[in-house]
Amino acid sequence: MSHQHQNTGRTGSHPANLARRRFLQTIGAGGLAGGIVNWPDLMALKAEELRKKGMACIILWMQGAPSQFETFSPKPGHENGGETKAISTAASGIQISENLPQVAKVMDRLCVIRSMSSKEGSHPRATFLMHTGYVPTASVKYPEIGAHIAQQLGDSASELPSFVRIGRSRINAKGGFLGVDYNPYVVDRAGGIPDNAEPATSTKRYRRRLALRDSLETHYAEHGGKQEVAKHRKLYRKSSQMVMSPQMSAFDLSQEPEHIRKQYGDSQFGADCLLARRLVEAGVPAIEISVGNWDTHFDNFSRTSELCGQIDQPFAALIRDLEARGMLDKTLVVWTGEFGRTPRVNARGGRDHYPRAYNAVLAGGGVQGGQVIGKTDASGESVQDRPVGVSDFLRTICHSLKIDADIEHMSGIGRPIRVVDGGEPVMEAFG
Amino acid sequence: MRGKWLFGGIVGGAVASLALAAGDSVLSAAENNTPQKTIQRVDAQLRTEFQDVSVKVAPPADDATYLRRVWLDLVGQPPAPKAILAFVHDTAANKRRRLVDTLLADERFGNNWAQYWTDVIFYRRSEERALIGARAATEYLAKRFNDNDSWRDIAASFVTAEGDVREDGATAVIMAQAGRPEETVSELTRIFNGIQIQCAQCHDHPTDRWKREQFHHLAAFFPRVAVRPSRMGPQRTFLVVANNFPAFRRPNANNRFAGTLEHNMPDLNAPSAPGELMQPVFFVTGEKVKIGTDDAFRRSKLAQWMTSDKNPWFANAFVNRVWSELVGEGFYEPVDDIGPDRECSSAATLAILADSFVASDHNVKNLYRTIMATEAYGRASGPRRTPIETPFAANCSQPLRDGQLYASLFNALGVSDPATAGGRPGAGFRRQRGPRVLFKNVFGFDPSQRRDEVGGSIPQALTLMNSSQINRAIASREGTVSQLLHNTDDDQEAIVVLYLRVLARRPSKREIETCLAYRAESPSRREAFQDMLWSLINTAEFKYRR
Repeated sequence: MSHQHQNTGRTGSHPANLARRRFLQTIGAGGLAGGIVNWPDLMALKAEELRKKGMACIILWMQGAPSQFETFSPKPGHENGGETKAISTAASGIQISENLPQVAKVMDRLCVIRSMSSKEGSHPRATFLMHTGYVPTASVKYPEIGAHIAQQLGDSASELPSFVRIGRSRINAKGGFLGVDYNPYVVDRAGGIPDNAEPATSTKRYRRRLALRDSLETHYAEHGGKQEVAKHRKLYRKSSQMVMSPQMSAFDLSQEPEHIRKQYGDSQFGADCLLARRLVEAGVPAIEISVGNWDTHFDNFSRTSELCGQIDQPFAALIRDLEARGMLDKTLVVWTGEFGRTPRVNARGGRDHYPRAYNAVLAGGGVQGGQVIGKTDASGESVQDRPVGVSDFLRTICHSLKIDADIEHMSGIGRPIRVVDGGEPVMEAFG
Repeated sequence: MRGKWLFGGIVGGAVASLALAAGDSVLSAAENNTPQKTIQRVDAQLRTEFQDVSVKVAPPADDATYLRRVWLDLVGQPPAPKAILAFVHDTAANKRRRLVDTLLADERFGNNWAQYWTDVIFYRRSEERALIGARAATEYLAKRFNDNDSWRDIAASFVTAEGDVREDGATAVIMAQAGRPEETVSELTRIFNGIQIQCAQCHDHPTDRWKREQFHHLAAFFPRVAVRPSRMGPQRTFLVVANNFPAFRRPNANNRFAGTLEHNMPDLNAPSAPGELMQPVFFVTGEKVKIGTDDAFRRSKLAQWMTSDKNPWFANAFVNRVWSELVGEGFYEPVDDIGPDRECSSAATLAILADSFVASDHNVKNLYRTIMATEAYGRASGPRRTPIETPFAANCSQPLRDGQLYASLFNALGVSDPATAGGRPGAGFRRQRGPRVLFKNVFGFDPSQRRDEVGGSIPQALTLMNSSQINRAIASREGTVSQLLHNTDDDQEAIVVLYLRVLARRPSKREIETCLAYRAESPSRREAFQDMLWSLINTAEFKYRR
C-alpha cells in the first residue's frame, strides 16, 4: 500500500501522514508548544483543520444519462424540445422542465450548468470519465472523486466509512491506486443496518468470539506471520468497532421522525437521500446515490417523466432539509449523469447518446443558487457559451469542498497522477 | 470435476491419497524429465548470495505447512484432513516431489492457473462488457495448461486471436481493451513480456529507454483489428475480426467497429491532425513488417517476435511471475514492470531458470516442478524482507486469491457450495449476483499487484464475521461442527480435527489449551465448537498461504 500510494504533493494522507495526524490528535497543544512538530506535521495539521470544516459531498448519480431537455434544459420553442413544457421556478427568469415541479420550488438554491460537454458517448467509459476525470486505461487505476474526497476529508478516527455508495452502480473505479481503504462502502438500498454490519449472534457471544479469534492469531504471528497478523488484527479491530458503533444507527432510517420521512416521500430514492443526509450528519464526507434506467432510447418522454417523478420530491426535500439544519453551506449536492441525449428525437420516440451538450446541477457547498451557467444554441445541438468540460466540472467540486485537485499521487508504476488533470473550476458557480 | 470435491471434503481427501499412492504412474515419460541440474544450480546460486552477508535462512517448512502450500499453489484448494495425515505419515524420501507431480497431473491445476491468468487479463479491462469473455478465457487456458502446451504457443494465440469472445478464450486480451490498438499492445507487452511501454504513448519515458515513436510502431501491428458487437446468435456477443478493407475512417478513430488500415501517431501539438503514419516495428528486437501488410501476417510476425528466444523478456516475464507466486517474492516487483532498466534481485538465478525454461520449449509444468523442488520454495515462511535484506531466505506468505479462499471456506465449513458455479471455470467474473460473484467483488484482487500491497478490507472482515450464509453454514446440521460432534465425544480430538480441517495443521499445545478453556466456559459443546470454527476462519492464517 505505501508503495502504491505515495504522496508527492503537499498535503494529503500518505499512511505516514495519517499516523502523524493521529499522533497529533493525541499529543495536542502541549506537543506543539514543545516544538517537536516539523513542517510536514504542520501541513498534516492543516489537513486536519480542513477536515474539521465539515465539508461533505452528496452525488446524485443518474446512471444511463438523463435527457437534458426533459430535466433542466427544456427547449419548448424548438422541435428538438419535443412535447416537454417548461415551467417557471423560484428563481426568476429560470425555467426548467415540467417534470420537476418540486425541484423548481428550490431552484433559487440550485445552479444549473447547461453547457457540459465531453467526447465519451459509451456508458461505461463516460461513467468512468465523469467519476475520475480520466478515460479508463489498463495501466493506471484511477480513483473516483468520492475516493479522493474520502482521502482528503475523511477522519481516520471515525468509526464509520468515509465513502458510502447507496444503490447499485456501474462505476468500478473505486479507490483505484489510493488503495482499498478508499473503496466505497456499498449499501444496496437505504433502510436498516446494511448487510453484514450486525453481529450474527448476541453481542455477548460476538465479543467472546472476537476474543477467542484474537488469541488464535498468536500461533501464526509467532511462526512467520508477524506482519500479516498485525495488519489483520488492526483490520478486525476497526471492523468490529464499526459493527459495535452507536454511529451505525445513522443507517437506521426508522430513527428518523415521521414528519421528516414524509418530506422525502415513499420512494427508494427518497429513503436514499434521507440516508445521505444522516450520514453527512454523522461525519461521512463522501456519499453517492445511484439511480438507474435513464437510458431512454425509446419512449423518452414518458419514461423520463416517470423517472423525474421518482427524484423530484426527494431532491427538493434534501436541499430543504440540509438548509433547515444549517448544513447546506458545507454540503455540496451534485446531480448529473454520464452524458446527455440527442436533440433530435428518434423514430421510437427516444433520444440516443449525446456527450456534446448536456447539463448538471450543483447546490450547497458555497454554490450560488438561482443561476444558470452556459447555454446551448436554440436547437440544443451545440454549446454556445461557456463550455464546461469534465475536468472543469470535477475541479469545481474540489473547489467547493476545499480539497486539493493538484495533489499528485504515485500510480502503481511510479507515474505521478493529479487528482484532476487540467481544467479550471467554474468560479461563476460560487457567485 | 471441481464441484465434486467441494461437496465432500473427506471423499476428496481419500481420492487424493489414493492418487498419492499411485504416484509416478500418473506421469508420462516426457513430464517425468525433471531438470535436476537446474534445481541444483538455483540452490547453489542462492546459497552463494546468502554467504555474502549474515543472512538468517529459514529452515525447511514442516510437512503440514508444505502440503497446504503445494495444494493451494497447484490446485487452488487446501488438502482435506485425510490427505494431511497420509502425507505426514508417509515415510518415503521423495514424497514431496511425488506430491507435486501428482497435483500437476490433476485437472484442477489447469483451472487454478487459468483463473489466475484470467484475472491478470480482466482486472485491467478498459471495457466493462469484456467480462462476457472471461469464462471462455478460463476454460481455454485451463485446457492448455492441463495439456501442458508450450507457453510460447499459448501466448502467441492471444496475439493472433480472432472470433467470438464467448467461444474463443484467446480473444481475451483484445476484448478486454475493446480492440483499441494502443491499449491492446500495451497489455500484450505487459502480460507476456512484463514491459510497461504504454507510458511512452504520450511522451518519452523519463526512466526507460523506450521512445514515443517505438510505442506507436508497436501499436501499428494492430490497426486492422476490430471488436464488433454481434447479435446473430442466441446471445449478444462480440467478435474480434480482422478488417483489411475497412471503409474510410479517420485515422485513430475509436477502433471498436471497423479498424483502420494503418496506425498514425497523433501530433501532440495538433490533436485533430491525422498524425504520422507508422510502420509496424517490434521495439525489443527492431524486427518489422512493411506498411500495407495484411493483418494476419502482421500479427503472426508480432506473435513470433514477442515470444522468440531473441527476446529475453518473454521467458523472464513468465518465470518471474511463477517464481513470485510460488516463493512469495518476484525477482522483479511488481511482476509486470520488468525490463532492461529495472532492478533484478537475483539476476543469476532468474537466468538459470529462464534458460532452462527456454531449453524445455517453454514447458510450463516443468517450470513448476523445478521451482517447487528448490530450497527457496521449500523453506518455512517468514516475514517479507526489508529492502536491504537478501531475498529468498524464506518463503513469503501470500494472501489467498479469491478462488483459493472460496474453496478453503467451503472446505472449512464442510457444506456444499450454494452456487454450484463455485469451481466452474470463469466463475466470479460474470455479471450476476450469485454468491461466487459477490465473493469475488469483496475478496478479488489484481494478481499483478505486489502482494504486500493487497490490503484486507473492512467488507472482507464484515463478510467473514457476520454474513448470514457463513453463520448458517457454521450452525448447519451437515456442516463441520455437526460432523465433529457426531464423530467424537473427545473434545481434544475434535479440536485436532477442526484445526486439520480449517488450517490444515495440528493445533499447538497452547492452542488446545485455549480451546479447551473456551469449551469449559461455554454454555454448550455445540456453541463452543461453532465459535472455534468462526474464530479460525477469521484468522489471518486462514486467509494466507504460508
